Amino acid sequence: MTCREAIDILADYVDGVMPAERAAELERHLAGCEPCRAYLATYRKTRELGAAAGRIDMPAEMLARLRRFLADKLRTV
Amino acid sequence: MTTEDRSLLARAATGDADALEALMTRYSARVYRLAYGITRSAPDAEEVVQDVFLQIINKGAGFEGRAALGSWIYRITTNLSLNKRRGKRRELETSLDELLPTFLPDGHRAGERAFVVADWSETPDRALLSGESRRVLEAAIDRLPEHYRAVLVLRDVEELSNEEVAQIVGDSVAAVKTRLHRARMALREQLTRHLGAGS
Repeated sequence: MTCREAIDILADYVDGVMPAERAAELERHLAGCEPCRAYLATYRKTRELGAAAGRIDMPAEMLARLRRFLADKLRTV
Repeated sequence: MTTEDRSLLARAATGDADALEALMTRYSARVYRLAYGITRSAPDAEEVVQDVFLQIINKGAGFEGRAALGSWIYRITTNLSLNKRRGKRRELETSLDELLPTFLPDGHRAGERAFVVADWSETPDRALLSGESRRVLEAAIDRLPEHYRAVLVLRDVEELSNEEVAQIVGDSVAAVKTRLHRARMALREQLTRHLGAGS
């Protein structure tokens, strides 16, 4: 397996949807390839950071405006 | 769709405030996260959230319910958010190609060794999610095409499966996986250029 092939399939590996045989093949490549180990570690961390950045709350005042907006609409239903 | 969901939709369609409140309690946070994640604008996301709940009131009773209610709401949210984005802020969206890894003819990574072995993954989250690193991350997300952001939020924030996301965005599982991988690689590249060989 080359680095190109390894990086191509990292998403399935990180997401845990890769068949065991393929994962073992990737892990053999990773064991001998420092750049791909670094890529995997930073790719996995990027996924975590993207998720953390996306976990935002709707501002309370916006929720209050939504309630008022929908209450107005319900009066016309 | 559950019997309870069906009942809530039917009651909301008749103007039942309690039913609508129950739907808001269950779904408004998810709708906002997805709408903001795609539009990257709080005012646009707010309009999307309002429009989503109007559709729930106006069309929910007619929803046939082959899919889960949550998936239907995610689909409406995605479509309204993408429509809202149409024609906006294209200048921020760069070609992803320049943010993807490059390779030598033999399949090894191309680039300076210090860069290709840079591993900043042990940097504490509090440092990565604040200050300049946070700004780089947010700017990198801004630069993704909106269809990529939709998949990224649905998979990595909402933690849906590739198959669920494919149904919501109306694309193949293969296309979803490709978009997700390219989006993550583009973010990783920009973080590595910022945190890079100095880590």
